[in-house]
Amino acid sequence: MTDLFVVGISWRTAPVAVREKLAFREDELPDTLRALTTTAPVAEALLVSTCNRVEVYGVGHAGADPTGPVRTFLARQRGLDVRDVADALYDHRGNAAVRHVFRVASALDSLVLGEAQILGQLKDAYAVAGASGTSGPLLGRCMERAFGVAKRVRSETAIARGAANVSTVAVDLAHRVFGDLSGKSVLVVGAGKMSRLAARHLYASGAQHIVVTNRSPEKAEALADEIDGIAKPWAQLEQLLTEADVVISSTGAREPILTKALFKKVTKARRWRPLVVIDIAVPRDAEPKIGDLDGVYLYDIDDLEKVVAANLAERAKSAEQAVRIVEHEAGQFEQWLRTQSVVPAIRALRDRFHQVAETELTKTLDQLARREPLSAVQRESIQRVMQLVVNKLLHQPTTALRAAAADEAALRADVLCALFALEPVRASSDAIPIGALDTAQLEAIALDDRAAPPQAIPDVPTTSPSEPSERS
Amino acid sequence: MTGDRLLSVAPSPAFWVAVAAYAAASAALFMVLAGKTSWKRIALGLVVFAFVAHGTDIGWRGTLNVHPAQSVREAIGFLSFILTGGYLLASTRYQLTLGGVVIMPVALVMLLAARLTPAGAAPDGLDTLGRIHISLATIGVGVFALASALSAIYLVENRALKKKKFDSIAFTKASGAPLEGLDRLSHRLVLVGFPIFTVALVLGAVWVSRLGESLDRPEYPLAAVTWLAFAGLLLARQVYGWRGARAAKLTLAGFAAAIAVLAIYLIRRMVA
Repeated sequence: MTDLFVVGISWRTAPVAVREKLAFREDELPDTLRALTTTAPVAEALLVSTCNRVEVYGVGHAGADPTGPVRTFLARQRGLDVRDVADALYDHRGNAAVRHVFRVASALDSLVLGEAQILGQLKDAYAVAGASGTSGPLLGRCMERAFGVAKRVRSETAIARGAANVSTVAVDLAHRVFGDLSGKSVLVVGAGKMSRLAARHLYASGAQHIVVTNRSPEKAEALADEIDGIAKPWAQLEQLLTEADVVISSTGAREPILTKALFKKVTKARRWRPLVVIDIAVPRDAEPKIGDLDGVYLYDIDDLEKVVAANLAERAKSAEQAVRIVEHEAGQFEQWLRTQSVVPAIRALRDRFHQVAETELTKTLDQLARREPLSAVQRESIQRVMQLVVNKLLHQPTTALRAAAADEAALRADVLCALFALEPVRASSDAIPIGALDTAQLEAIALDDRAAPPQAIPDVPTTSPSEPSERS
Repeated sequence: MTGDRLLSVAPSPAFWVAVAAYAAASAALFMVLAGKTSWKRIALGLVVFAFVAHGTDIGWRGTLNVHPAQSVREAIGFLSFILTGGYLLASTRYQLTLGGVVIMPVALVMLLAARLTPAGAAPDGLDTLGRIHISLATIGVGVFALASALSAIYLVENRALKKKKFDSIAFTKASGAPLEGLDRLSHRLVLVGFPIFTVALVLGAVWVSRLGESLDRPEYPLAAVTWLAFAGLLLARQVYGWRGARAAKLTLAGFAAAIAVLAIYLIRRMVA
């Protein structure tokens, strides 16, 4: 069992009315994190607070269960009684906590499956924890791995593909027709809220000209100012349609304004250049038959919702594959953690063997030197033989410890310590950063047949919480 | 090369490797289309492998004095090679899984037809002019084949978008190949292929007239129809602004005529 834990609340367990009570502003996070590590048995901590979740990821002090105190801490920080939010709060420890963090980072636990925001929010939260001094090697390793898993999930599965809301579907459809939207022109007909959102998304995706037209010139001006567009008179509608690449229509007209007769003239004048028409008005602004014309791609609000549904269904299909990736990566992390738990015992055993060897070697060399002076080559040969013997002897117990299951490894480490009277320094996360030792370094501790000097335990690189993106 | 000598030599080991790689690439691309997106690199790797093996086979035949342009049969093998190369080139820019699922099996069938069908006898009078004619015609038709493949993908995707088939494979899997890009690339390929094909046609006419052969064979008017289709396409695009579905359909019609010409040549040679 590792010391990693998760305590939190999310859209799965609580409505927004409850979540908002436990939410933290960004500027509150550093003080909150410091208070948490001071008052609760928590050595490392990170707090992520978004509209869909408030969660603490951390590492507890050895032997303590930090989840209860963290629950209480969260409630008290927001002036609540912990009993009032007990049902909404959940906690995970050990491998379950690691799996949860990996799932959250991969947007498998998000309200909109596969959404991209959560990864950025986690990276921000990790950076805040780093700057506040509450992130440490074990949590850091877990978060960096989580970012790597998220990247893998996004690149190897279709979980993040396709627009997941109506206002971005217009962009998606325009991409399918035009590819790159840079230099494309968008015509907004009417001044509805949805068309404003869709126009903004198109603009953000590279569309360079946004033209607004409305029967009311004042409304057209107002909307054009709001979305960095240009207002044009309603009377020029035919000409504007001829020049546009994407049309977003949401007027309050009772009768269609984008008629087939009008579009026949428009498509001919355009020489059948593609034209994407997004009609989000109810009643509809466009006659359905204009979609039959060459080069015209017409979509109404129902179509957009069908695209969203199709995309979400595709994402759901990919979720299974994504879960397999998360499970695999969590298993790898578990394996890595297990290896870390026996490091102190291996280190102590290695030190003991090398100390004994060094002492006996010094004595022997002195005795030999008294009888007959030894050459440098002879001394080096004797030292090399001694170190080789020591390393060969260390190989088997090291391998056995590394290969054992978590509980078995701890037992074997205890037996080893008892047999050799070892006193391993339990590396707590706020003392020695064992969390940063990797398998290769472990191998180097005991398997280096070239016999490194006794104290030459490989340098342990410290994690850099302030640079998570580089490692992700 | 004399008239009674068979045109071909036995397929090289590289040919069998290419056949296996084409088949594996087709299967892998199909798996990608079916949702195994992680297979994409493997599929592209197999296409590259098939392309290299195919090229090796052509080179090996070259060492045995079998020129890719010495007959229509050899030219079809070379056409298949151009098709695969063009697909690889286009794949660097667009996501063409759907196209690959069509193109790879077509390339495989063409290669098999080029190597395993009866070779027939060599034509009389295959001089330098004849070789240049066959080479240029092969390259021209190869470029038209690529343009046609893109046009076919265009029509499938266009239909999915127009008919709002949001759950169709063309809509969900081929998102990396935007319609405008497909149309533009197809047009550019026709612009490249047309002058090559035109020169091939003229040289072919000169070659045939030198040999004193009659021009009443069905492949000659069909070749003219091919040329007219692509000339009409370029004219319609340039003068009347044709694009999209109309242009794609005309591209496919022109290519169908080109394929008919090749088929007639091949059958005639096999029978001979």
